[in-house]
Amino acid sequence: MKPLCLIACLLIAPAVPRAADDFFDRLGEALTFSASEGRIRARVSGLLDLEVYDLQHPAAPGVIDTKDRRLFAPRLTTFLDAQLGPRTYAFAQLRVDRGFDPEASDLRVRFDEYVLRLAPWGGRRLSLQLGKFATVVGNWVNRHGAWTDPFIVAPLPYDHLTPLWDTQAAPASATLLRWGHVRPGLLATTEAVEKDRRFPIVWGPSYAIGAAASGQVGYFRYAAEAKLGSLSSRPDAWSHPAEQINHPTVNVRLGWRPSPMWDFGVSASDGVYLREYAGVSVPAGLSRASYRQRVIAHDVAFAWRHVQVWAEIYATRFEIPRIGDGDTIAGYTELRYKFTPQFSGALRWGRQIYGTIPHLGERVRWGREVSRFELAPAFRFTPHVQLKLHGGLQRGDSGARATSRTLASQLTMRF
Amino acid sequence: MIVRGLFLLAVVVAPLAAATIEGRVALPKARATPVVNQRYEIVAKAGVLSTNPPVAVVYLEGPFPRPATPPVASILQKDLTFVPALLPVQAGTRVEFPNLDDTFHNVFSFSPAKRFDLGRYRADERPVPGVLFDTPGMVTLRCDVHEHMRALILVLDTPYFAITAADGTFRLTGLPPGRHTLRAWIDSKQTKAHAVDLAAGAALRVDFP
Repeated sequence: MKPLCLIACLLIAPAVPRAADDFFDRLGEALTFSASEGRIRARVSGLLDLEVYDLQHPAAPGVIDTKDRRLFAPRLTTFLDAQLGPRTYAFAQLRVDRGFDPEASDLRVRFDEYVLRLAPWGGRRLSLQLGKFATVVGNWVNRHGAWTDPFIVAPLPYDHLTPLWDTQAAPASATLLRWGHVRPGLLATTEAVEKDRRFPIVWGPSYAIGAAASGQVGYFRYAAEAKLGSLSSRPDAWSHPAEQINHPTVNVRLGWRPSPMWDFGVSASDGVYLREYAGVSVPAGLSRASYRQRVIAHDVAFAWRHVQVWAEIYATRFEIPRIGDGDTIAGYTELRYKFTPQFSGALRWGRQIYGTIPHLGERVRWGREVSRFELAPAFRFTPHVQLKLHGGLQRGDSGARATSRTLASQLTMRF
Repeated sequence: MIVRGLFLLAVVVAPLAAATIEGRVALPKARATPVVNQRYEIVAKAGVLSTNPPVAVVYLEGPFPRPATPPVASILQKDLTFVPALLPVQAGTRVEFPNLDDTFHNVFSFSPAKRFDLGRYRADERPVPGVLFDTPGMVTLRCDVHEHMRALILVLDTPYFAITAADGTFRLTGLPPGRHTLRAWIDSKQTKAHAVDLAAGAALRVDFP
């Protein structure tokens, strides 16, 4: 049945008539509302994604959670954007899908984002926002939607799971090494089970609840946010903000944009990565506040004509009391090129490396290093319909396999 | 000498012989002002967008000879809006797209009459990127960066066209005598037609209810 979905995607896309383009434009106009001579206006828009994954097991790479070889992941995303006068903007994102990350489960409905943003003095110097929203750290968030992201799977720092668990404090170095499969003792096939315990450096766009201030002064842009969830916190944690009320995460980004072609940024983050219920595993005399995730990230973006390049590097330290600091660095470079008005292609190379922790009198790397190469051609049939393919080859940390591959296709309709 | 005389006659008489049509086109209701998607913009570019009231294009149906050298027209990208939102041009016209904003735009069209993608370019780049529109038809312009931005270029096989005022009134001058079809393009779904018989120097009134 699942291969049929892939075939269906490929067949449906070209069959969408050009007349539908006009229909989508008219639908967009019908879903735009305006009052007070345009001072108050709102628009409902959305994306319908039909994704099919073909995975190698055991252990599909990243946050994809399924035991099946193929996974069909449909998703309907609706956005509400509202402008209330020149100083107030609000938006919300509602999703119907099989989980925030692709997984084999039933369809469910979820508010992923809702934000109220105020520019108290107008202009660009200061904006304040409150709600549940994507992090200001890095530059992937700006393009993470299905329509704008050249790839289907998120970059390595946002997707690849580190050995650490957020459900339990690592009691000893041997345990942590077992979690990371660095030392023998745990079957590689159990990795898929651990997917609900391990976490990446940044979990997707990190839609945690919080408040933020941002603005622009000359060529510089700044943003600071306090969120109820660390960068690595999982989507389930974003819905339980009370857990982190005493341990808010602080994220900042300072950007320099000398021209529209270039955008440089440096970000930092400090938060607690353990979930509340992991508190029982915290040794006496310590608290969850001792289990911190500290991040320094650099990002750069370049665009000119038909070329776009992005790169990010995340240097992360997970403080693990009684074991040491778990350091890891993950980064990637991504290139997109439009060959024709409708056909584009993207390449991405990413790598994650690990530092060492003390273990039995020696220093031992606490995670398996991983490299990932990805290729994604895309074709836009109309300004509202796009088909994307994604091929990824990952070496390292793939359970029983030294090398694993991921294939995916995504048909997106934008309205 | 005879040639010079005929030329002088043509220069003096031709404007007198040219016909004029004026009238009014019933326009559709104004559309709601679009909303700028600023979801992941750290810097809010709020404000009220300029509105584009509905207008129509009235033209004398061709074909007429194309100009020897391509005329140049322009559509600005200013305050996250295409200005003007509707541009009629004669086939063979080059349209330039200056970017007057301090952010990137990416003008593109998938319309069969002209498929192109200019990519992203700085405001100070010269020459200003442009496209030659040589096939009659409707070209929908969009911006790959700002999904709310949209404009239309109506490529016509005639040099005789005019955009109506916001109240629908129009005036076409310098028209050649003869039997023609006058068309009013209202939107992608509506074009109205009216046969006209233009005598030299005539002034007609044509309304499109």
